[in-house]
Amino acid sequence: MKGNEAIGEGAVRAGCRYFFGYPITPQSELTHYLARRLPEVGGLYLQAESEVASINMVYGAAGAGARVMTSSSGPGISLMQEGLSVIAGAELPCVIVNMMRGGPGLGNIAPSQADYFQATKGGGHGDYHLIVLAPNSVQEIFDMTGKAFDLADCYRNPVMVMADGIMAQMMEPVELKDEDRFEIPPRPWAASGMLDHPGKNLINSCYVVPEEMEEVNIKLKEKYTKIIREEQECEGYLLEDAEIVLVAFGTASRICRAVVEKARLLGIPAGLIRPITLWPFPADFVAGNTGNAKCFLTVEMNMGQMVEDVKLAVNGKAPVFHYGRMGGMVPVAKDILQEVQKLYNGGVVK
Amino acid sequence: MEDPKHISIFTGAFGSGKTELALNYALKLQETGKKVTAVDLDIINPYFRIRSVREALEVRGLNVVSPCGRLAGADVPALPPAILGVLDDSRGYGVLDVGGDDIGATVLGRFKGNLRDGSFNLYFVVNTYRTHTRDVPGILSIMRRIEKASRLQVSALISNPNLGPETNLETILGGHRIVMDAAQQLGLPVALLGVHRKLAGRLKIRDVPIFPLDLLLKLPWQDD
Repeated sequence: MKGNEAIGEGAVRAGCRYFFGYPITPQSELTHYLARRLPEVGGLYLQAESEVASINMVYGAAGAGARVMTSSSGPGISLMQEGLSVIAGAELPCVIVNMMRGGPGLGNIAPSQADYFQATKGGGHGDYHLIVLAPNSVQEIFDMTGKAFDLADCYRNPVMVMADGIMAQMMEPVELKDEDRFEIPPRPWAASGMLDHPGKNLINSCYVVPEEMEEVNIKLKEKYTKIIREEQECEGYLLEDAEIVLVAFGTASRICRAVVEKARLLGIPAGLIRPITLWPFPADFVAGNTGNAKCFLTVEMNMGQMVEDVKLAVNGKAPVFHYGRMGGMVPVAKDILQEVQKLYNGGVVK
Repeated sequence: MEDPKHISIFTGAFGSGKTELALNYALKLQETGKKVTAVDLDIINPYFRIRSVREALEVRGLNVVSPCGRLAGADVPALPPAILGVLDDSRGYGVLDVGGDDIGATVLGRFKGNLRDGSFNLYFVVNTYRTHTRDVPGILSIMRRIEKASRLQVSALISNPNLGPETNLETILGGHRIVMDAAQQLGLPVALLGVHRKLAGRLKIRDVPIFPLDLLLKLPWQDD
């Protein structure tokens, strides 16, 4: 399957029956797939007139208690930010897919990881967080789409699955897990008519009295603290004796795994940390599994975004460097290896 | 591969392996001393197209026609005028890689007038491990839609059953059987069975010529 198709199938099998979106490269096959697949299972696919409309349709469907998804790429995700803030404020579950491309602005359609800040540090206005997942294989894209819906329901919070054009378009074998594995939990809060619950349900993110707004903020903060405590996910590779630790997610992590293997052949004790949740950032894993690390190198397809979170997690215990390619350029293994050798032989690792 | 037509067109569902087959076919044809041009007609999907390996192919002496310069990386339906030159040059051989599904095949309709009867083969590449071509009805449905969109008739199927790196002999045999069934129902021949070179020698199939494939479109973490 292609990554885009795996998201579509993962969503359908997770019980998602509503999709609102607008085509944009490199995620258009996802809309193409769901346009065909959702009607087969009695679902609704709707191409909205814009991304602003899409996200507000998602707001409506989520408020009525549906499992719902939208997808786009950088420029479209930017248009959705107001809606995302409203959905987070109203505490509604939904899944948003961002297949990143080169930017800023319209940029291009080549693979990129330049939306890390936008996804993990807000993007929209006000105090809120998205849960952000970063798969690095087509199997994981499929599995993680299901998990995204579960996390969204569990925390009543929007969840973003974030990858890039390579992940979206590449093909890998996928084992499709059993259908109906996901049970959709009851939603007593949904504005779905008054037949199944007493009293009115109100979906809202507008609190004109500051005291009331702050109460909501406190409640949200408690929720985010719990997510940070319980949902950090990360993968380590050859970390035990690693003196130089690479940190990379998504496409870059696949390349870095090859780099670590090449470095080991040269006698350099390199390891890899792959954050799977970008928010919450797996700071505990970074701090707890890198006892021998003498330096860190983050490899990103941007000018240096995740490196800030790595620095916070490392907390001054070792220097943290960044290697990045931008604008849709993909880092090459031999260039990263050269960077690793430079750090190792240049005296940073003693 | 015996007595190839002047023009060979590769169509199929999204991700069926058209590009790899077309490129391997073009290189093989070139090895026999013919003048061959590979034409990138994929205006649907901006990733993993011929143009992304253009330089490597040109080094090997293959002519490549694909949108040039700034247009190469854009998702716009740009068709270079040199395509008509390839179709008109009766001494040369053209290998056309078309975009996936009926949407991708629509572009062929524009060249219908330039394709003389009997001068071309329209291949329909099938990987039975892809979502929409897992069984005979699925294969027939996509093939009919491609024929309708391109306003051309498929001349032969190409069997390409694989699960990428997890392919084994059993995978191939199981998938190939479905392609043969589909071909029988359609009354069409199966021209080739595409198999990764490392498995090709171990495969015992007599009904269709085995076509060993060297994969050319690689991911950034895959070694040469």
